Formats: sequence, C-alpha cells, structure tokens
Amino acid sequence: MSEYAVLGKRVTRVDALEKVTGAAQYGGDVHLPGMLHGKFVRSAHPHAKILNIDTSEAEKLPGVRAIVTQDDVESGRRVFATDKVLYLGEPIAAVAATDPDIAEEAADLIKIDYEVLPAVQDVMEAIEPDAPRLHSDDTKDSPARRAITAELRKLERDKSPADHSARIAELNTQLEATEDDVYYNISAETHSAAGDVEQGFAESDLVVEDTYVIPRVHQTYMEPHVSVADVESTGKVTVWASTQGPFAIRSGIAGTLGIPLNQINVVATTMGGGFGGRFGVALTHVPAVLLSQKTGRPVKIQMTREEEFTDGRPAPGCVIKLKTGVKNDGTILAREGLAFWDSGSVSGASIGSTIRLRGVYKFPHLKVDAYGVYTNKSGTAAYRAPGTPQVAFAGESQLDDIARKLDLDPVEFRLKNMRVEGDPVPAGPNEPKVGYKETLQAVADAVDWKNRTKGPNQGWGVAIGDWTNGCGPGGMFVSIHEDGSARIFHGSMDITGTDTALAQIVAEILTLSYEEVAITRGDTDSAPYATGSGGSVVTFTMGNTAKLAAEDTRRRLLELAAERLNTDVESLELKDGKVSTIEADPPKSIGFGELAAYSLSTTGGPIVGKGSFARKPSTPALAAQIAKVEIDPDTGRIKVLKMAASQDVGFAINPMAVEGQIEGGAVQGYAWATMEEMQYNEEGNVNPGFVDYRVPTTADLPTVESVIVEVEAPDGPFGAKGVGEPPITPTLATMANAVADAVGIRITELPMKPEKVVDALHGNGK
Amino acid sequence: MPRIFREVITLRNFEFFEPTTIEDASNLLTQYNGKAKLLAGGTDLIIEMKARTATPEYVISLENIPGLVGIDYDEATGLRIGALTKMRTLEQDPTIRERYTALAEGAGEVGGVQIRHLATVGGNISHGSPAADTAAPLLALGAQVNIASADGERTVPIESFFLGPGQTVLETGEIVTGFECPPRGANEGSQYIKQKIREVMDLAFVGVASSAKTDNGAVSDVKIGLAAVAPTPLRATDAEAIVNGNSLTAELLEQAGTAASAQSSPISDLRCSAEHRREIVGVLTRRTLQAAADRAQG
Amino acid sequence: MKKHPVSLTVNTDTYDLLIEPRKTLLATLRDTIGLTGTKEGCSTGDCGACTVIVDGKAVTSCMMLGVSANGKEITTVEGLASRDQLHPIQQAFMDKGGYQCGFCTPGFIVASKAFLDENPNATEAEIRHALGNNICRCTGYTKIIEAVMSAAEVMRNS
Repeated sequence: MSEYAVLGKRVTRVDALEKVTGAAQYGGDVHLPGMLHGKFVRSAHPHAKILNIDTSEAEKLPGVRAIVTQDDVESGRRVFATDKVLYLGEPIAAVAATDPDIAEEAADLIKIDYEVLPAVQDVMEAIEPDAPRLHSDDTKDSPARRAITAELRKLERDKSPADHSARIAELNTQLEATEDDVYYNISAETHSAAGDVEQGFAESDLVVEDTYVIPRVHQTYMEPHVSVADVESTGKVTVWASTQGPFAIRSGIAGTLGIPLNQINVVATTMGGGFGGRFGVALTHVPAVLLSQKTGRPVKIQMTREEEFTDGRPAPGCVIKLKTGVKNDGTILAREGLAFWDSGSVSGASIGSTIRLRGVYKFPHLKVDAYGVYTNKSGTAAYRAPGTPQVAFAGESQLDDIARKLDLDPVEFRLKNMRVEGDPVPAGPNEPKVGYKETLQAVADAVDWKNRTKGPNQGWGVAIGDWTNGCGPGGMFVSIHEDGSARIFHGSMDITGTDTALAQIVAEILTLSYEEVAITRGDTDSAPYATGSGGSVVTFTMGNTAKLAAEDTRRRLLELAAERLNTDVESLELKDGKVSTIEADPPKSIGFGELAAYSLSTTGGPIVGKGSFARKPSTPALAAQIAKVEIDPDTGRIKVLKMAASQDVGFAINPMAVEGQIEGGAVQGYAWATMEEMQYNEEGNVNPGFVDYRVPTTADLPTVESVIVEVEAPDGPFGAKGVGEPPITPTLATMANAVADAVGIRITELPMKPEKVVDALHGNGK
Repeated sequence: MPRIFREVITLRNFEFFEPTTIEDASNLLTQYNGKAKLLAGGTDLIIEMKARTATPEYVISLENIPGLVGIDYDEATGLRIGALTKMRTLEQDPTIRERYTALAEGAGEVGGVQIRHLATVGGNISHGSPAADTAAPLLALGAQVNIASADGERTVPIESFFLGPGQTVLETGEIVTGFECPPRGANEGSQYIKQKIREVMDLAFVGVASSAKTDNGAVSDVKIGLAAVAPTPLRATDAEAIVNGNSLTAELLEQAGTAASAQSSPISDLRCSAEHRREIVGVLTRRTLQAAADRAQG
Repeated sequence: MKKHPVSLTVNTDTYDLLIEPRKTLLATLRDTIGLTGTKEGCSTGDCGACTVIVDGKAVTSCMMLGVSANGKEITTVEGLASRDQLHPIQQAFMDKGGYQCGFCTPGFIVASKAFLDENPNATEAEIRHALGNNICRCTGYTKIIEAVMSAAEVMRNS
C-alpha cells in the first residue's frame, strides 16, 4: 500500500515504552490512601438453598468495616446469591476490611447454612426430564413438536363438522414418538433454516453424521479482574477498573445501584487482556462500589486466579449434532445441526453463532437449531469470536471427513463450494465483496500445499473459520497544538494496538508523521462515548471515527489557511504538516502550528476536529489455517511441526499488530484443541489453576507463519476489517484434521489430550 | 468437600527461624513438632501455605546451614548431592549430565527455569510426592538418602524412603541433608521420560527412569524407577529381572514394559485414567530401557 | 508475629526493611517498596509474570519469601533501562511487537535477560524451552521469540 505515508507501516505501538519498562498502570497497581480490601464469601456447593447468612461473628472482628449482601442491592439485580446458590464459588457476600487478611478471616467467619441440592454439570444430562432444575419455566419443545401441538390445538378448537379424529390420533402418536425432543433447563433457543434439508439429504450421494463435543474454556487473560472504587461524601463514584467496556461498566453500575450516570466515573486502567471476558459488571466492580458506599473509603477487590476459574465468565462448551449431505462430485447440498450450549447458571451463551455452521459454503439446504442449557456452573461470556470456534470445529471436521471419503483434496473441495460476491447466504442476505477463496488459497500457497510431504505419523490439516466484525458508536476529538502536533482524545480501550492504528489514521489524513500524533484515552467523565472493545469493533468503529475527526480537523485547517493566505479552500491542500496552495506559483504554505496559534484569536476558536459515528455495514472476514503435526502413537502426544495462518483483514493498518492478532488467535485455538478444558465433577470445577488448566508456553509450538490477505471492506477505514477474532476460529478443526491425516482417526471430542489420542488409536475413543 | 476461597497471595502468619546448624534446625522441628515446616526452595511449601493445605505456625529455613548445597563426584565413592542443591544446578552440572543423565533430565523436568532456580532436590524428595520428577531417576541410580537430626545421622536407600503420598520415613526432628549414588562407569547409561501434555511446566502423568550397564551386548545392573503410578515412587523390580543379563530385544522390552505396568498401581484422577497411566508405564519403560542401554554403549 | 529486618538491594537501591515473614518477595516489591512493574498473574509460580532476578538467577517472586531475599541483589523490570537507554531486550520487544496487553511483558523481559546473560548464543529452541515458565496469552509467542532472538544478537555485538 505504497500510496500511504503512515498507514500500512510497521510502526511501534504508542504504548510500547510504558509496557516494556513496567510503567504501565494496571488495575492491581492502583493504591489509594486509606484503601480497604474486599473479599468474597463464596458458595461451598454447586447447588444449594441458602437457609441463613450469619454475619455477626465477622462483624465483631477488629478491622472489618463493612459486609454487603444482596439485601444491599436495591434494584434487585443479582449480584450475590440469596435464596439459592447455583454454582460452586458463587458470591454470597463481600467484606471490606483494613487488610486483605482480615477481610479473608472475616469472610471465613460468615456462616452460611445450606440445604444441599443435587447438581447437574453435564449439558446433555441437564436437558433430560430427571435432571436437577436450576430455574423454573425452562422446558422447551423442539420446533417440530411445537408444530404438532399447534396443529392439535387448532384441530381441537375447530367447530366445523369435519372429522379430525384420525389426524388428532396421528398427531398424538407423533407427540409420543418425539418425547425425547422435550428439553429441560433451557435458557435460550434459536432456529434458522433455508431450503429443505430433507430434500437435500435425499438428493445427496453421501450423508455423514456425527456428534462433536467442545469443552468450556477460560479466556485466561493474564491479569485477574480488579476494581478500586472510591465513593466521595457527595455520592460521586469513581471506579478504577480493568474492563473492555468502561461505558458499559458505567451504565451497569448505574443501573444496578441506581446512581445517575453523571455521578459515576469509570477510569479504565491498562488492561491485562480480555478476549471477551472482561465486560462483566457484577464480578468486582459493583461489590467494590457497594463496599465503598457503605464505608466511605476506597475499596479494592482483586480476584485470584482460582476465583477467575470458579467465578469468571468463560466460553461455553457445547455438544453439536451435525449431518451433512454431498454429491459424489463434491457439491455440498445440505446440512442440519442441533447444538446444546452449556450456559452455566445464567442465560447468555453465544448460541447465536450456531448459524455459522453454514460456514462460507453454498448450502442450498440448511437447518440449524440451538439451545442454551442451564448447568451448575458460572455463567459464560464472550471469548474471541464467541461460539464460532466451536461450530467451526464441528463443521470443518465433518467436511474433512467428507473430503477423505470422496478422495477429494480438502483445499479444492472447500474452494469448490465457497461462496463468492453475490451468492445467497443460507438464512442470510447475499454476500458482499468477500475474499474467502483468496484467503484459503493464500495459506495453501504459503505451505506449498500441493507439494506437501509427510513422514510416518505425520499429517496435514486445513480448516477455515469466518467472522464478521461488529460496529458500535464512538466519538473522538482531534486537536492541533501551537507547534503543529496533534492529539487525539477518545474513550475506547486498547489492548491489541488500536490506539496506534488510530494515530496512524489521523497522521495519514493530516499529512503528519506518526510521531507527531499523540493520543489520550480519557475516563468516562472526560472522553466521548466509545463502544466496548470486543467483537473486533475498535479499528472498524474508532478507525472510521478517527477518519471523520481527522477530516473535520482538515476542514478547519483549510478554512483557517484560506483566511491567512487570502485564497479559497479549494485551491489548498495538506502536505507534510502544512497547508499549501495546489497550483499557485510561487507556492505558498502555512504550517499547522501557525494556524493553531492563529486560531486562538479567531472567532471560530481553537482547532478541534470532531468525529462521531454509530453504524456502517461490516464485511465478513475469513481465517484459514494449515497445520502439520506429528503424533507419537504410543504416548498420544501431538507435536506441531508447522502452523500457517492466513486472514483477510481488508487492509492492514499496522501489519505488525495484525500479525500479532493472527499468531495469538491461532495459538489460543491450538490450546483449545489440544489441552484446555475446564473440568467439573459433581462438586464443581476441579482444575481452577494453571497446574491442571494448561495454557501453552513458548516450548509447545513453533513460529506461527501469518499470511495477510487484503480484500478491501467497502465501509472499513481505508478498507480495514476487524482483525482480533477470526484467527481463533479455524484452529480447533485444523488441529483435529491434521491428527486425522496423521493417524487416520477422527477425534470429535476436545481437547485431544494424549489419553484421548491413544484411546482413539486403540479404537475405543470418542 | 466444601472449598474455602482465599486470596492466594497471602500466607497465614508464622514465626520464621534461620538456624545455622542441623542440630538447631532439628531441635526446632522437635520443639514445634507438628506445627513447624522446613523451608528449602519453597516451591511446594509456599503453594501449600497459600492454599491453606499447610498452615505451619513455625517455618524453619535451611538456607543458612552450611554444607547443604553442592555436588561432589569421586570415581571411588561416587556422587554426593547436598539436599539444598537447586534443580537448575543438577540439570546443568556436567558430571550429572554425563554420568547420571536421568537425574539431570528429571531435575530439568521440574516446572520451568524460574522454579528450578528455587526448587531443591531435597525438597522434591522430602515432600513425599509420588510424582516427584527426581524420585524415579534417584531410584534408577541407586541413591541413598542422608538423614540427620540432633541425635545423629542415618542413611536409607531411596526405595525405603517413601511410605505413602506425602509420607516418608523421616522421624520427628529429622532432615534430609543429601543423596549419594554409587560411582558410574562409561558403560552405564540412564534416561528419564515423563508423560505430560505441555512440553514444560507440567506435572508428571507418569515418570519412568531406567539405568543399565552394558557388557558384550547384554544389560546388567538394571534399575527402573516409576513415578506417579503408585502411592509412592517405586522400583519396577519385575521388569528389571526380565531384562537383567540379557540383550535387549523388542520382545524382551515388551515383556519388561508389561511387567512394569503390572507392578504399578495407579489411580484415575482429573489428569488421566489409571488405564492410561498403566499403559504409558509400559511405553516409557521400553523407551527408557532402550535409551539407557544405547547411552551405555555411547 | 515477629517482623524480621531485611536488607536487600533492588536495582541500584538498598532497602532496610522490617517485614512479616509471610510476605512474599513479590508482595515486598509491590506493596512495601512500591515497584509495581512486577506483576501477579497466578500466585502459584506457574505464569512467570512475577519474574525477577535474584543474585543473577531468574525466579518467580511469588514463590519466595521476602525474608529469604535478605542480603540479596534483586533486579526488576524497572532496573533494566538506564536513564537514556532501554535494555536491548526492551528495545527489541518494542521494535518487534513482542507484547500486546503487556501484563506478561515485564516477566518475559526479565526472564529473557537472565537467560541471555548466561547463554548469549542460545538457539531458538533453547530460548523457547527456557522461557516456558512464562505465559503470554496474547501473542502466540512468535513475536516474543523474534524479539529475544534479535536482542540476543544485539547483545552479542555490543
């Protein structure tokens, strides 16, 4: 992209220095004078009635300043458990004391009387009629049963003389036959369809059916949740919070505690990773505010790693029953999917992503049904392209089996069925301009796919995953200083290098160097509204906002320059930090600094460009990956020999940051495929720490080769698409497909720990 | 069992001692019997104290006692390792790498570099974990454990040191001061392999160490140590008997592996099943035996 | 409980402290001395975010008592750069994009320094093995390894 001076360059991030020197301030680094420390009293059972909460002993402990329970939450929104605990580690109360140890001792002194209830941890057990029930009103008929019931009711109400008895009997028989399609503990459901799958399967030469099981995994951001809340005597609340969405946190606290928005300031600290898991309000923020309100002193609550595992909001596991029909020539005809998502104790699992079982292929016939299911676990939240790695694992594993059965090259097979611009998307609008084929081809080329070789027990796997970035509201100001440098003011959280991209965009438009643009992220009191940093929205949303703000700044610079140079705006242009005449001879120009100084005495006032923006159509992006693995057939250990990852990013504003996203996402996907899994028994989560919840280290896999593909997004800033989420989507299937190619076994239940691989090789795996 | 949640950064209060002699340390242990813990590298004790699975009122650091750190090798008397020698030192020591290879490999499997800069071999063994990474190598290398107290010293073979998970032969007031292994010649080799998921920073699902001497193609003096597959680390004596005095063939290795599996008595837990552990014992017994013999032949 | 006098050198400064024995070295550095560059990610020695150098060796400071640091020399991330120059490893992490959220970065940089000081000619495989005590969740490690490799070269040439 040589036409740009700053965009498309590998610039050093704006926050580089503070991060390599240890100066960056994270939530845990905030320390206020007189600060108290908060601790939780947590449920000791995964499912139990709370009979009594006795805080009297704890209150007597010297140093204890306040204890809060759900009684202190006037809105009634669930912050603490009251009548019933729904998972091991659910908060029941919080204590503030002068020292964390005293707070902890006090928490131990709070006596909870329980009536222990049977718990359900498995999603497929939870939907059965005899499962313990978490909530009332949670029984759901399948859509087919609902259709039968509706027809029955209609016939029964029919007052006409027609005799429906035969049909009614038939429908009742059908109802009895489908009793298994009544599901219990259902939190949510979604259904979509296109074409007629039954017809599609009938026309297929090959129909493959399987069940895929994907475990619950934790985002495992390195910084645990932390908040410091300080409530002044006026009632003004300030919260230093590690969060992806400071403005969402502000409304969450306001709504839960009935505080006006202009009385809450959320100061988002440098964030130690989020991946979707750091939007929650109730985990630490609201309890810290409650304790500070009650004590009049600042209160810090920091979760431990163990608490992160038991009371974080991880990604849901799920069970997907999937059936795909194809013609012998490799034309895909039909797919039917039924997914049960493990929501934990509250609704909210990313079941909407089940529709992505359609992938980027031309399915003439598609039917997708999905249910969220309550279990006695903590609730779930987003994790990098929420829901999509799970469904892509099922969909892409099954396609791989089909390619093998039909003896088709897995890359060619996918390319043949991929949608292109204008193709109908099953249960969706037609495709805009997309780069699916280019992206898959790019990764195949990177590894010289056609000429790939392998030794014994080695195999190659390929898979793809698609994702469309979100878009949200955002505002921004750009000001020009009297020395000609610029500063951006905004309120959007940066983890991945988005602030750097914003500075690049503003520099490009204003013809400044990257170094001449500084950026300030304000708190919610001082910055304009910005959408949360999740859903790969920041570069797309704030990038467009930055473009608008920079263009507004340019407009004002041109107006001022026209005034100073006695010419009109049309004959002027921005060049190297000056406003110059386009054609005048001799050329005349005036520096931004001079204009900024001049602006201070004009009626229009200082140069402040504004950008404000809410919604533009975003364009789907594809990630494609190829892995080469070697299996030790005796120990079952999987070694990655090669990992290549391509992604259509529209336009890479900072290729270094983009590669970092691709590499990081692929490694998270690798980990989900091979080692990560939150394990539960009847008492709850049993691996709440890094010893038995394993995340990969530097020693586990080689360099990830990232391949940037750029198929412009029409409405993205300079063509850019959201980058953060897609790279995790294909990896689960990539790894499983590579294992299948290496040793001829198909593992449908993740993670592929050594024991699972060995069992599968013995023929008794799942 | 209900779990209690705590912020793990803090430890319960305790009184801290830094004795400068074994006698003083031993006397403190006796005086505060049941309420005191020894601190070596701390990588097990501090985790347990954070988790409140250990709540000692007294912690006795061994760091200021002279003579507990170091590695000495003598062709006649063999190897002596001080109990407070760090894992990282064992892993990198040229003599241990060359002659007691399995021990260097076992030490190198403990945690990561930072942990190995803290963790000590004495701590690893005294802790009594069935999965200790240096236990199987020390078993295979015929180690003796030096134990001292205010009342004197004694030496026990490592085979009889472990009594059960977290339990050892150490009596009140006794402290492990070091380890001795017989001298080893150029025709002796050893290897330790552990079954794990991650390349580093994993606990052993199964650990197997084998040592062998080779003479004219036959192996002798074979010792096989197993970890994480029984209530204590143990010797696979049945497998040793099968291969001792014979040339290693695929068939013999298979038999040895089967015998080692049979001698193990693993449990199923969240890491893997007993069946998997038993199977891996066989695999790793075969592999380490072969490698030990190969290394013995140079 | 009895507090213990502890004298330790952190970076260039000597601190004479009176601390409870139950305070870890990490807590001593962060809470008592106020150097918060060293991070707590897990508190069980598994993530390496709290890595500091004690007498030349990288250790997880959450696994060491403050009283055990008596008389020792500690280097934290704050002590790597001079007034006008970053350490080559810090510079390389900046240049190569060897970080994203930055929370693990101090631990990675400090662990890398201790390792490269002892092994200036380390291969990529050796570096990957040696840094396994540190977890990064963002980068997938590719750019971290690139940064350490390139810093090693700079250090060898200077």
